[in-house]
Amino acid sequence: MSLTYVARPPVEISSETATAPQLAVELTDIEVRFTMPVESIVSFKEYMIRRLTGRLESREILALRGLDLQVEPGEIVGIVGRNGAGKSTLLKVISRVLRPTRGRVIIRGQVAPLLDLGAGFHYDLTGRENIFLNAALFGYPQRVVQPHVPEVVAFSELHQFIDLPIRNYSSGMLARLGFAVATMFRPDILLVDELLAVGDEGFRVKCLERIHDFRSKGTTILLVSHQLDSFSEYCDRALWIEHGEIVAEGLPGDVLRSYSKGFLDT
Amino acid sequence: MSSTSTPAPNQPAHRQPVYDSALQPHPAVEELLEFYRYRGLVGQWSRRNIKLRYKRSVLGVVWTLLEPLMLMTILTIVFSNLFRFEKLDYPYPIYLLSGLLLFDFFSRSTLQIVEETVASLGLASRIYVPRSAFAVATILSYLASWAIALIPLMGIMLYLQHPFSWAILTVPVGMLLTGVFALGVGLLVATLGAFFHDIKLTYQVLLTGWMYATPIIYPLSIVPVEWQKYFLLNPLLHLVTLVRNPFTLGQVAPVHSWLVSIAFSFGALAVGWWIFTTKRNVFDLRS
Repeated sequence: MSLTYVARPPVEISSETATAPQLAVELTDIEVRFTMPVESIVSFKEYMIRRLTGRLESREILALRGLDLQVEPGEIVGIVGRNGAGKSTLLKVISRVLRPTRGRVIIRGQVAPLLDLGAGFHYDLTGRENIFLNAALFGYPQRVVQPHVPEVVAFSELHQFIDLPIRNYSSGMLARLGFAVATMFRPDILLVDELLAVGDEGFRVKCLERIHDFRSKGTTILLVSHQLDSFSEYCDRALWIEHGEIVAEGLPGDVLRSYSKGFLDT
Repeated sequence: MSSTSTPAPNQPAHRQPVYDSALQPHPAVEELLEFYRYRGLVGQWSRRNIKLRYKRSVLGVVWTLLEPLMLMTILTIVFSNLFRFEKLDYPYPIYLLSGLLLFDFFSRSTLQIVEETVASLGLASRIYVPRSAFAVATILSYLASWAIALIPLMGIMLYLQHPFSWAILTVPVGMLLTGVFALGVGLLVATLGAFFHDIKLTYQVLLTGWMYATPIIYPLSIVPVEWQKYFLLNPLLHLVTLVRNPFTLGQVAPVHSWLVSIAFSFGALAVGWWIFTTKRNVFDLRS
């Protein structure tokens, strides 16, 4: 089985296209500020004591500082950066898990996050029960999911195991089921974190095939990694994020070169 | 390219196509709209809760039926022999159990909301879900347990040959109102729980006090008259009247009990919902 990824012509982000009304993702001046107590105060009693004695300090962490991002429909954007640079925070803002402390978020279309496969799975329930629950967490009602369950079972290759509690599943089986449910329907915008550490090589290829199929039908894709080499070939554009800001943006090859150079310099 | 898998269908077009953070209504309204959009999740999540509750214990449903019965037996022995209340017009076990079931529901469901909200923090920080959906699902699943626990109560009524009344048909309405009240209190305490991990312990102590401050194991009539007006400030006193009078007196609770209960329940829900939704960033931006 061989996969060929045809590189698309890079999308020009000129000022005209950037102001076009139908961008898939439009982030303006996004700031995410986490407040962390200097010493972790977790108890009410402790809090009251500190409050009364006037010793209550907290530290603020800016995960994203005034970030702007525009993504065209159908565009594939790769995001690189070191751990803690703000990549995952950015994807959380786009998937609406995090509400930024400042800035405007516009998302046109349905977002499917492949960030944490199988979030919400319960080990005492069967594979089939978990399909419905996980799909419900994505906002899909039971009647919409019902007709597509056989496809999910087939894709995850769980056939005879689907009615067993998932506590008996291997980690590969869980990852397969998680991916199959998350990609049950073609989304408008797909968010992928740390490209697919799912199961064995055969299944990985199948996953890439599905993502490729989404892409060819017009799904916008945002890929995040701390090593872009693996997917630079099929990104239209790359971003390099450092300390919550975009430090470089452009053709994947160029951005990657400066990223790996910057990596070596420090 | 050889393909073994069928391509995924396009996503059903029932969901919100455009999200613009600048055009969102007040968080309390936004959460309400999102809750409506995810209403399918509520049903499925409460069924999941019920399924898991009964899967974990060996005796399953039987245990849910036995537990209040055993507690009632102990309390009946203790209170009707040691304390000797003035003569009641109805059997004490019926009075006790019908009130106990309400408090049992209230304490379990609110504690569960506090726990679940912290637990679903993990979940809600991974997938976008309106958090109120989990809270409502918790209430619904415990209402179902309460309904099941009414079976042994009616068994005892049969055994004691206490008459049944049509007034019992109003009990589900009282239960729903209690659910509304518990949701409000649960959301409020859960918001505090996002700030302090020990809120659960503090709240548990408070619950114990609340139980003894509510006429459940004793009748209101043993409370000195000059104190009774303070007891009337307790929302649970009014709610328990709604779900107890039909069993004990065979009468629908008086109108003022209904009105006060409705005011307390929806008032608590409004306050709890408001605080839970406007402080939602606390849940997100806490690490």
